[in-house]
Amino acid sequence: MTPHTLTPAVVRRGSSAQTRVALIRPKKPLRWITTAAVAAAVVGLHAVAIEGTDFKPELLVDGWKGMAAFIGDAFPPDLSWEKTLKPGLEATLVTLWIGLLGTTLSVPFALLLAALAAENTSPHRLVYQAARAVLSFFRAVPDIVFALIFVTAVGLGPFAGVLALICHNTGVMGKLWAESMEEIDAGPQEALRTAGANRIQQVANATLPMVVPQFVGLLLYRFDVNVRSSLVLGLVGAGGIGLLINQSIKSFQFDSMLTHILIVLVLIIVVDQFSAWIRRRLAA
Amino acid sequence: MLLSVQGLRKSFNGRNVLEGVDFSVAAGELVAFLGANGSGKSTTLRCVMGITSPDSGSIRIDGAALDSLQGRELQQTRQRMAMIFQKIHLVPRRTALDNVCAGALSRIPTVRSLTPLLFPADVQQEALDCLDRVGLADRAFDRVGRLSGGQQQRVAVARALCQRADVVLADEPVSALDPHAAEQVMALLRELAHSEGLAVAAVLHQPDLALRYADRSIGLLQGSMTFDLPSTEITAEHLDTLYAPDRNPSVDRTQAA
Ligand SMILES: Nc1ncnc2c1ncn2[C@@H]1O[C@H](COP(=O)(O)OP(=O)(O)O)[C@@H](O)[C@H]1O
Ligand SMILES: [Mg+2]
Repeated sequence: MTPHTLTPAVVRRGSSAQTRVALIRPKKPLRWITTAAVAAAVVGLHAVAIEGTDFKPELLVDGWKGMAAFIGDAFPPDLSWEKTLKPGLEATLVTLWIGLLGTTLSVPFALLLAALAAENTSPHRLVYQAARAVLSFFRAVPDIVFALIFVTAVGLGPFAGVLALICHNTGVMGKLWAESMEEIDAGPQEALRTAGANRIQQVANATLPMVVPQFVGLLLYRFDVNVRSSLVLGLVGAGGIGLLINQSIKSFQFDSMLTHILIVLVLIIVVDQFSAWIRRRLAA
Repeated sequence: MLLSVQGLRKSFNGRNVLEGVDFSVAAGELVAFLGANGSGKSTTLRCVMGITSPDSGSIRIDGAALDSLQGRELQQTRQRMAMIFQKIHLVPRRTALDNVCAGALSRIPTVRSLTPLLFPADVQQEALDCLDRVGLADRAFDRVGRLSGGQQQRVAVARALCQRADVVLADEPVSALDPHAAEQVMALLRELAHSEGLAVAAVLHQPDLALRYADRSIGLLQGSMTFDLPSTEITAEHLDTLYAPDRNPSVDRTQAA
């Protein structure tokens, strides 16, 4: 038996006193062919996509005058209190409430589905598959589609927006939570299993308390996203500032529109800073 | 004998990891398992605990063979054994008391175990007593994450006590601890064996700890036991066979050939 086996790429040169390992990279002849094939495929896909989307930058060049006129109309923003600022601020608060309720009211559903859809906490393979399917469905249907459905069910207004966010957010947050439970250290759960705790007891006393920081972080991230989504939901009639932006565009009041957009900008920065602040405190 | 194990065999993917391990631990006795990495120490404990299912072998607790029991009776007998892990496996965000209470979960109705706020008062009192036995009653309401490694491992021991286990299996309980904390935890395990009559089996990485604390030491080499002797009779040669198999005379002969 030889004590040391040299790999083919490592060859020793020179006399025994001063040997050096020669650097010879192993040749992989097929490497560049695959690289070229992948590059060609990517270029080809882009060509098809440009064709399919009527992607014509020259239109943008021709249309700059229209854009300039539009922006010119928007300046200066309309800062009249009664007509624009007051309704804008009120509607922005509604947008914030839609985002808040859409996030918090989905917590119980997301929690239950996440526990059923994580491999280490799910009671049975079939339950796991079913919970995954339900989560995939709610995640795959965009919140705006849910909004359109709920607007026909409960009428125009913020309530439809809240319902839409609850549905979509349950799907997304449930998936994210399930993944973070699967990534958590399995040790404490195993320790409780050997101590004779049943599955529910293991989850409630090991897995869940272990993932609390990750859960809260993801919850804040979703709150952030949901406030922004609820803006868009307003555009299809589900209440909030989005609705006002839509109305001011339709009635050619671009100066009001600009005011609303500026308010939205402030809201988004505030929410973003707030959730970043909480997450920092949590990490500390 | 409180715990007696006979003919324990286990193979993973056709490779024999345990080739017939026999040992027993009496009440009031601390037994150490010694052996190189991969010699099957953890697998032995995990098979006894039922975390891994052995291919064959019999495990008796207080004379009752586990494979002759079923259902509730089997579960109750299994719960007389508790495991202590190298990585401790407590929940760092919870208090020491709540972690110790978790050892009693099998005695708490499921609805009352959903949050520590619902844990029955008598369980909490018992958990506090267990913390007192490991010398940490004053840290009961500290989060476990705030405690030192040695204190955390003592909380894990208290959790085993709160499980009311009388057989404690510890897999490298002190390998992650600094020397002082390691001595403290070993002294605690010996104390629990000698004064409270527990049967304790601990895998140890440092032979000197075994020689100083264990009543008996068992050597494992590639899944077989090479010795099972009172710690006072262990010699340097015994240890050499475990940790330096290359210098083992029988291996030398095959290399020369
Ligand atoms: N779940 C498993 N699957 C496959 N091999 C395993 C498994 N658990 C342990 N082994 C193997 O069994 C041998 C003994 O492992 P272990 O009992 O952990 O050794 P020790 O604790 O003495 O270091 C090792 O070679 C290890 O790779
Ligand atoms: Mg091990």
